Amino acid sequence: MMLSTTTLADSPSILQDWIFGGNAASRAAAQSDAMFLAITWFSIISFVIVIGFAAYCVIKYRRKPGVPVQPSPHHHTLLEIIWTVVPSASLLVFFVLGFRGYADKVVAPANAMELKVDAWKWGWKVTYPNGASSPEQKFLSEQVLNDGLVQQTGLQYPIFYVPEDSDVRLRMHSQDVIHSFWIPEFRTKMDVIPNRYTGYGFRTPKLKAGDTVMHQVDVYPDGSPVLAEVSGRDMWIFCAEYCGDEHSRMAATLRVVPREVFEEKVAEWGRPKSPWLLGQTIWKQQCQICHSIDGKPGTGPTWQGIYGTEGAFADGSTHMRDENYIRESILNPNEKVVAGFAPAMPSFQGSLSEEDLEGLIMFIKSPDRDPTTAGEDGDSAGSEG
Amino acid sequence: MMTTLDTHDSHAHGGSYFDGPPGLLAKIWQWMTTVDHKKIGVMYLFAVLFMFFLGGMAALAVRYELLDPVRTVTELQGTELVESTTGQRLAFLQDIMNAKSPNEVYNRMFTLHGAVMVFMFIVPSIPASLGNFFLPIMLGAKDVAFPRLNLMSWWIYVIGCLIGVFSILLGGVDTGWTFYTPYSTTTDADHYRVVLMVLAAFVLGFSSILTGMNFVVTVHKLRAPGMGWFDMPLFIWALYATSIIQVLATPVIGITLLLLILERTMKIGIFDPSMGGDPVLYQHFFWFYSHPVVYVMILPAMGIISELLAIHARKHIFGYRAIAFSSLGIAAVSFLVWGHHIFTAMGELAAVLFSALTFLVAIPTAIKVFNWVATLYKGSIVLNTPMCYALMFLFTFTIGGLTGLPLATLSTDLHLHDTYYVVAHFHYVMMGGTVIAFMGGIHHWWPKMFGKMYSETGGLIGCALVFIGFNLTFFTQFFLGTQGMPRRYANYVDEFQTLHEISTYGSWILLAGFLVHLVTFIMSLVGGEKASANPWGGLTLEWECESPPIEHNFHHEPIVKHGPYDFESVVPPHCDPKDYPLPQSH
Repeated sequence: MMLSTTTLADSPSILQDWIFGGNAASRAAAQSDAMFLAITWFSIISFVIVIGFAAYCVIKYRRKPGVPVQPSPHHHTLLEIIWTVVPSASLLVFFVLGFRGYADKVVAPANAMELKVDAWKWGWKVTYPNGASSPEQKFLSEQVLNDGLVQQTGLQYPIFYVPEDSDVRLRMHSQDVIHSFWIPEFRTKMDVIPNRYTGYGFRTPKLKAGDTVMHQVDVYPDGSPVLAEVSGRDMWIFCAEYCGDEHSRMAATLRVVPREVFEEKVAEWGRPKSPWLLGQTIWKQQCQICHSIDGKPGTGPTWQGIYGTEGAFADGSTHMRDENYIRESILNPNEKVVAGFAPAMPSFQGSLSEEDLEGLIMFIKSPDRDPTTAGEDGDSAGSEG
Repeated sequence: MMTTLDTHDSHAHGGSYFDGPPGLLAKIWQWMTTVDHKKIGVMYLFAVLFMFFLGGMAALAVRYELLDPVRTVTELQGTELVESTTGQRLAFLQDIMNAKSPNEVYNRMFTLHGAVMVFMFIVPSIPASLGNFFLPIMLGAKDVAFPRLNLMSWWIYVIGCLIGVFSILLGGVDTGWTFYTPYSTTTDADHYRVVLMVLAAFVLGFSSILTGMNFVVTVHKLRAPGMGWFDMPLFIWALYATSIIQVLATPVIGITLLLLILERTMKIGIFDPSMGGDPVLYQHFFWFYSHPVVYVMILPAMGIISELLAIHARKHIFGYRAIAFSSLGIAAVSFLVWGHHIFTAMGELAAVLFSALTFLVAIPTAIKVFNWVATLYKGSIVLNTPMCYALMFLFTFTIGGLTGLPLATLSTDLHLHDTYYVVAHFHYVMMGGTVIAFMGGIHHWWPKMFGKMYSETGGLIGCALVFIGFNLTFFTQFFLGTQGMPRRYANYVDEFQTLHEISTYGSWILLAGFLVHLVTFIMSLVGGEKASANPWGGLTLEWECESPPIEHNFHHEPIVKHGPYDFESVVPPHCDPKDYPLPQSH
């Protein structure tokens, strides 16, 4: 019964592909699949023995009129000891191996890069050791049209970059309710809780020759993105703990890239930006899921054309939507709730800095373009319809 | 109305238990105020089946929404690109339910499904209906120990259900049936629907406690002369173990839900960190009740299976004491394993301890399954509807039990926790276990409860449809889970669509199966053939009274002279010995 999950992990089977999609991204994940497979084989064998015997009895001992029932013992001590001891011993093996696999999954080496994960209704933010975070977004579907242009449609999800072949540790915290940070390809999740840090570690895979992702490398004059295949591997991140309306949209992409690409990007994001650009980045990362800039109402009201106009509120009052109003609505969102919307927004007090607030105010004043640059869009992806 | 036996005696003692006074109003009043455990059991039966229907409708709505993912489609109309959304199949309910978004409709639907199925259907299902009806009869008693308390427990159940249904009619709640904080203390902050739903669960708990207490005392004090503890049918052992859990665990959920209500209404910070509370504390409190209550749901089902297999295989149950003691063992260990619901929110040491304890609870369950299968050996097996359900239970419950192993194993649980794998696993246990056994039990005892036979063909067709539909619906969900589909998602990524589609089609077949059963039961009540006192050749005491039983169950206090499963040495009462020949060597 002693199974070595290490050996099993190195010889993935068809069954394993069939059950998990064969996409384990780390050694710990592959070992977890092997563990699952070992339990599955144990279960299949037990099931066939138990149900097979039952089926045999049902066929062999069907009731025949006038034929008496055959006597047989009402218990059998040896048999009963065997069917108590054998399962108990097997379960003990599963427990021990499961414990070892658990340790491999949750504990990261001391020199692992620590990423801070923030969660809120409904989004994720990953902060790198230099304080930067990723402004990049991925569209759910990207379609290359006949003329080579790419049409991006569907929902957008943030892309979090990690370097290939390195150890990563997550330190996670939630701003509101409980969420759960799950990367299926690492086979690990942990709850993200509002009053304590939780976390786990994983080792990112080495990129193989076929690992490529579509990435925006330039912008066409009309604003549509120029995409190219670059080296990388995308994985889903899902929120696994129910958290409300947009729970199923609280997803993100983890992108494994070559180390030099990772370092270049994180250094770039760390450089100071114009307040408007900073505001646009924060909107994409944290606000977009509820607040549109094209006039469509979401879970929260749109930001299109609200600045400097009177707003109507749930308590029947009206108020000028100026800088003070924006600031108050971010830090204390339930003070003035816009008519027609539920008081669903969490406070961003403490999680957004003075600079961030300034950036958001600049962005809300003029969501369509950066007033400090003459007529040129800061980033076309933001105004994509 | 009268059976062929003891005719003059029956006249002396009055007719069947449901002969009431003349006049409809008088009849209704008699049922509403009855202290007869049989009438209370029948009222519970129809009430829990109605709740099963309500929860089932919500489940079908959930599956309907998940038939396809939500897609944004851009189409060229004339010269304009028009965006439209497809796949939001429940959006038409948004205004009716006064919800913020189509997603919220979905969230309320799965909450409704969970809360109704757990608190209003599956917890009371078998003990309150079949248990109430048969526990006193199988013990040879006239009634439960405290008949008035029994009536009170019924009315508390009704009040709890009404509060819950009222909350649903106001629009429902989107907390999930587990009411996890701080989501449950902050969502819908401007409405009292959540408080009502929590209050409903709180009230229903009292019904559960009272029934449990009643059963414990009845088993201790009202066994017929000659019936020792080990002469009791195993259904009674199972109900006894269940009752102990109900009495000990339910007060904990009562207190927890009360704290939740206090936090929501009076802003007393117990669970919400923004008020100084701890949200994970709620989960510990909640599962300290809700894990043992999983065994409140499954133990009575195990009891039914022990009866069904023995009677319809005409075989002494294999390992009687092992089954009886494993019921008590499960009840005891069930209090020590709650942590396995929160492996992803607790410290490493606690997780390891709870993992070990969880494996421990698997052993007595496995022993039961082995004993049941061994009972079939050298039996005389008849494949009627109750037996087919019992065999289906062995099939689905074994899958449910075995798929629990990767959830008890820490390393694999980190992947599978909160995914469709868990959904599939607990439906194989709760539906593949409890509901299947309940259906088997209802068919088995239907002739006794209502004095009418049902169409065996109808029963078998329904049983087959339920088997196919159930496995299609839930087996696919194991693969959804392992491949990365989280629970409670109103929408999903495209790669999961095929499996979701199969699951939804399965749910329709499942519905068809239950509708066939409904028709079969109605036809039986309206024009079913009269049932004999002992249609299956059973040896437990309920087969000694008439079908349906008289008001006081027995004409004379029964004296127990043989064991409940002595099929090899006793000719069943009211049966032709030619139909049930005994082995000659005996």
